[in-house]
Amino acid sequence: MFFHIYLERNMQLHPRHFGPHLRDKLISKLIQDVEGTCSGRHGFVVAVTAVETIGQGLIRDGTGYVTFPMKYQCVVFRPFKGEILESVVTMVNKMGFFAEAGPVQIFVSNHLIPDDMVFQSGDVPSYETSDGSVRIQKDSEVRLKIVGTRVDATEIFCIGTIKDDFLGLIGNPGGGA
Amino acid sequence: MGYKKYSDDEEENDDVEEEAEDVDDEEEEVEEEDEEEEEERSRKRKYKGSQFIDDVAEEDDDEDEEEEAPRKRRHRRASAFIDDEVAVASDDEEEEIEGEDDFIQDEGVEMIEEEDRGRKHHRSMLPEDDQQENVEDLEKFIQQRYGRHEYEEFEEAETTDVEQQALLPSVKDPKLWMVKCLPGHEREASICLMQKFMDMDMQGKPLLIKSAIALDHLKGYLYVESEKEAYVREAIRGMRMISQREVKLVPIKEMTDVLSVEKKSVDIDQDTWVRVKNGVYKGDLAKVVDVDHVRQRATIKLIPRVDLQVLALKMNEGLQKGGKDADMKNKPRPAPRFINKQELQDLKISVDTKRDPNHAGEYFEFFGGMQFKDGYLYKGVSLKSIDSNGVVPSFDELQKFQKPTDEGGTDSMGLPTALASKRRGQFVKGDAVIVVQGDLKNLMGYVEKVDEDDVYVRPKDKELKGSTLAFKDRQLCKFFKTGDHVKVVAGTHEGATGMIVRVDLGSVVILSDTTKEDLKVFTANIVESSEVTSGLNKLGDYELHDLVLLDQSTVGVIVRVEKDSCQVLKGTPDRAEVLTVKLRDMRKKLFDRNTNAQDRDSNVISLKDIVRVVEGPFKGREGPVEHINRGILFIHDRHHLENGGFLCVRGMWCVALGGSRNRLDRGGRQAHNNNFNGGFQAPMNYLQSPRRSPHPFHQGPGGHGGSTFGGRQMGRRRDHGLVGTTAKIRTGPFKGYRGRVVDATDHDVRIELESQMKVVTVRRDQLSDAVGSQYHNGGGASYRESPRYGAGSETPLHPSRTPMHPAFMTPMRDPSATPIHDGMRTPMRDRAWNPHTAMNTPLRDSSWDDANPSTWGNSGTPQYQPGTPGGRQYEAPTPGGRGWANTPTGSFSEAGTPSESSGPSYGIPASPYLIGTPGGPPMTPGVASYLPSTPGGQPMTPGTGGLDPTSPALGMGGLEIENKWGLPEIVVTVRKAGEEAQVGVIQEAMPDGTCRIALGSSGEGDMIIATHAELELVVPKKTDRIKIVSGELRRSTGKLIGIDGADGIVKMDDTLDIKILDMSSLGKMAAN
Repeated sequence: MFFHIYLERNMQLHPRHFGPHLRDKLISKLIQDVEGTCSGRHGFVVAVTAVETIGQGLIRDGTGYVTFPMKYQCVVFRPFKGEILESVVTMVNKMGFFAEAGPVQIFVSNHLIPDDMVFQSGDVPSYETSDGSVRIQKDSEVRLKIVGTRVDATEIFCIGTIKDDFLGLIGNPGGGA
Repeated sequence: MGYKKYSDDEEENDDVEEEAEDVDDEEEEVEEEDEEEEEERSRKRKYKGSQFIDDVAEEDDDEDEEEEAPRKRRHRRASAFIDDEVAVASDDEEEEIEGEDDFIQDEGVEMIEEEDRGRKHHRSMLPEDDQQENVEDLEKFIQQRYGRHEYEEFEEAETTDVEQQALLPSVKDPKLWMVKCLPGHEREASICLMQKFMDMDMQGKPLLIKSAIALDHLKGYLYVESEKEAYVREAIRGMRMISQREVKLVPIKEMTDVLSVEKKSVDIDQDTWVRVKNGVYKGDLAKVVDVDHVRQRATIKLIPRVDLQVLALKMNEGLQKGGKDADMKNKPRPAPRFINKQELQDLKISVDTKRDPNHAGEYFEFFGGMQFKDGYLYKGVSLKSIDSNGVVPSFDELQKFQKPTDEGGTDSMGLPTALASKRRGQFVKGDAVIVVQGDLKNLMGYVEKVDEDDVYVRPKDKELKGSTLAFKDRQLCKFFKTGDHVKVVAGTHEGATGMIVRVDLGSVVILSDTTKEDLKVFTANIVESSEVTSGLNKLGDYELHDLVLLDQSTVGVIVRVEKDSCQVLKGTPDRAEVLTVKLRDMRKKLFDRNTNAQDRDSNVISLKDIVRVVEGPFKGREGPVEHINRGILFIHDRHHLENGGFLCVRGMWCVALGGSRNRLDRGGRQAHNNNFNGGFQAPMNYLQSPRRSPHPFHQGPGGHGGSTFGGRQMGRRRDHGLVGTTAKIRTGPFKGYRGRVVDATDHDVRIELESQMKVVTVRRDQLSDAVGSQYHNGGGASYRESPRYGAGSETPLHPSRTPMHPAFMTPMRDPSATPIHDGMRTPMRDRAWNPHTAMNTPLRDSSWDDANPSTWGNSGTPQYQPGTPGGRQYEAPTPGGRGWANTPTGSFSEAGTPSESSGPSYGIPASPYLIGTPGGPPMTPGVASYLPSTPGGQPMTPGTGGLDPTSPALGMGGLEIENKWGLPEIVVTVRKAGEEAQVGVIQEAMPDGTCRIALGSSGEGDMIIATHAELELVVPKKTDRIKIVSGELRRSTGKLIGIDGADGIVKMDDTLDIKILDMSSLGKMAAN
């Protein structure tokens, strides 16, 4: 789920950047620092939308770096258990397939793939129904439900299922379902 | 309080008396008391505990006093008792003292009586004058007895560790001796000993043994307690059933074990899992169907091990000949298999189907004297022949036991429950559980409390809320949902964590966090946990990812560690073969830190090198080499999900990424190059060569000995030229042996002997001449290139240069030489910023050689690399790559030299150390024209090479000093004083340091002129096209394919190489 939230962060800036572009530098550094990061609490920081305030800088003893407390608004993405996501399959193997929904990696185990879909190895490994009407392979688009999440310091890993109504393939790499 | 104490004490008295009379009674008494006055008693126990500890400490002193003043001691004890009590109830003090007094007197009297009763027999045996013992003696005796009783009472009243410790035998105690006796006569022997003891006592020659014990479970042995072995020998002398010879001392530590009684095994009950102890089914898992405790028999259910063919044959033959199954014993035991009706029919085995009245009249199939049902064998066995103790069936066993046909039958129910009943304490407060048995089946709840027998569950159900229900733990099963993150706490996968992807009754499938593999585990063995662990990674001396020797010829890498076994990826490059190996099957751990292999281009591959597989089943994979063994590489590919990401490939199937250059076949190529280069290149090579000569083969990523300079040699250096050759040892302990050289340094060679499976290290001069001489006629001079060295030093161009002195600085000055080296340089090395190192590894000059022809021929072509005659692919950077592991100290000494010498000799204003200089050449317009053809790096001399601008730090420096980085097509932010920042595209960089800039992100706007100070690079994003603005790659274009912190990963347009460059040296190119 996406959230638009306020976050705070103390930015350290090298004194060489002091000058007319200080603010820009700070912002670009902030963006560089936080975008794409992941925290267990908020999930992935997708984009910094606005910088609310930049507080008074404080010179660090010894280094000359200056710490600015910054408050900024950003879009975060955090997957939740039970959430339905649309994702792109990145890898298929006999244990299931990996899919990505933005920054989140989701693994769909073969236990969580409908029983009528079986793994087909070969050049392009895939999960296929016996009649071949549904075929999940790399780059397929899949709608799935998250059944579990594991939050590490730097990533959120999810386990998804497509064993439910209205879940499964929504688009194939060639286009069409 | 005080009173209670008192009454307690009285009770204690009773205890003492009764105990003397009848031990069993006394036990009962204790139990009774427990019920009656549990609290007080426990309080007292506590108190006595502390008292007791003091006693223990004082025991020895007390014993001395005991003899002279037993009464005093009683009082002392009493007062000590009271002392503590005073604080609690001082009022009762007096009373208590009285009580104590009474107590003792009573005790005394009672004890006398007791003695009279209990020891009449004994007494009669005492010497005559003993019967007239005076009262004092008697009292003394009684006191002794009493003292002990009290002691025992203490001990009985509580069992703290300390006390238990105190009771253990020590060196002061009599020893226990084990004597052999005729089997079956143990009891008799001990009784005889007792009789002998008495008789001898009567005769006034008492045996000095304390006791004799015969244990029922120990056949043929007897224990005798005595201070000395001689006493024991004395005691057993002349006894027929006791062996006179063997008297063995039981070590003190084992003394307790002699008399400790093993806890009775868990009762065998219906549905418990057992193992058969003997017969065909020895070790097999069985399930108890029925138990008859009276007759000590049980009916168990097994997977039959019946060879139907043999049976059919026997049955048919048996009709004619009668049984002759003499050879049956020698037959291998049949594999366990379920009996199939169809098969029976096919084999024409006649089957009777009967009801068995013993088993609720169910129908059974009878044939061959055996009883079957649903494919299982039902067997009546003696309880003694089955073992239920600690039987924990493994998942596989259970799965096998599960008949494939019955899906979720009654047995699958038994699966978790049977386990549950075995494992105590599997439930912890807070666990989510579900009831699997009984009336409340499927009720969910949370564990509230667990005690010995029951688990108290707070049901989840609203209507039952607030109530707590007690269940037996076998009725419960832990409850998990798909997606829960759990940790395995027992079983083969102990320690692993993962997320549940599938829940079956009693077991779940979890996806391991680390290996991304499915693990099947019992719910009983998992707990919910947010922790992420890698699971077990150590088994014995072996660790995960170790290279192990399985047998003489097979090696493998441990890819998974289980509780008592490992999964090992075998070193078979043709297919991935994984074995489950027990600890004992692994011969040893192999250390291959110094081993090497060769890749397809005969580059040397060492550990941690990144290689790409270009052939074989794993084509396309790449990753760091984790292990090397005999030309086989174990590669760890993070994207490979099986076998922990490990691949086993042949070295010849791989190419090393990052451009390790081959030296082995250099000779030929060199010649070729030289022809090409004519006179010019030659001297350079030659000039370099002396310095490199010691290690032409030494280009391992380890970069050992990078610090060596000129003729100096270090023993550690590797000499790969020798590796793999066969050598004979000339002298020393291994004289005459031949073997394959597995490793070689300047001084030592490690040789794998042909005749012994052994690798030995011998000095080089101990090798036979064929090998040894090569290295002895002048240090490194005998390498293949040696002739050229000679030539080098004689080169007319620099005749005065000694090889030590870096005359080879020269080429750097020569513009035409510059490009050559570029491109050879892997960005990694630069990044590592170990300025002086890379150069003196042979990589450098081999690259030089390789590049030579092309540069020489068409020195402006950016794409020279593919066209290089000797050109090999120097692929992506090696993170952790080669060369730069060199020791900095050495490097410095080295780099120092060129700077000293080159400066004066050539009059170059700046020494290579100066930042500006190395960066310089590309900046000067004249030289710059060469730059497009320089995909990386510069000169070839060690000192200068190391210092060249490829290092980002230097690049930056150059940039900041020169400030003329502007290049056409680069997108910049223009910040003119007092104006808004604008984005523009550089159209032209003027020589005066200004740039003509077209505003707009793709340069569609107005033209302005700006100085470099007003410009700022627009930081490119992933997938942006970029142009390199600094460093020797300046002006090269590429695509940014990734950003790693301050470094950008760039795919070069011209060479298609992947390079890692500092982000600050990358300018975004305008899209057009």
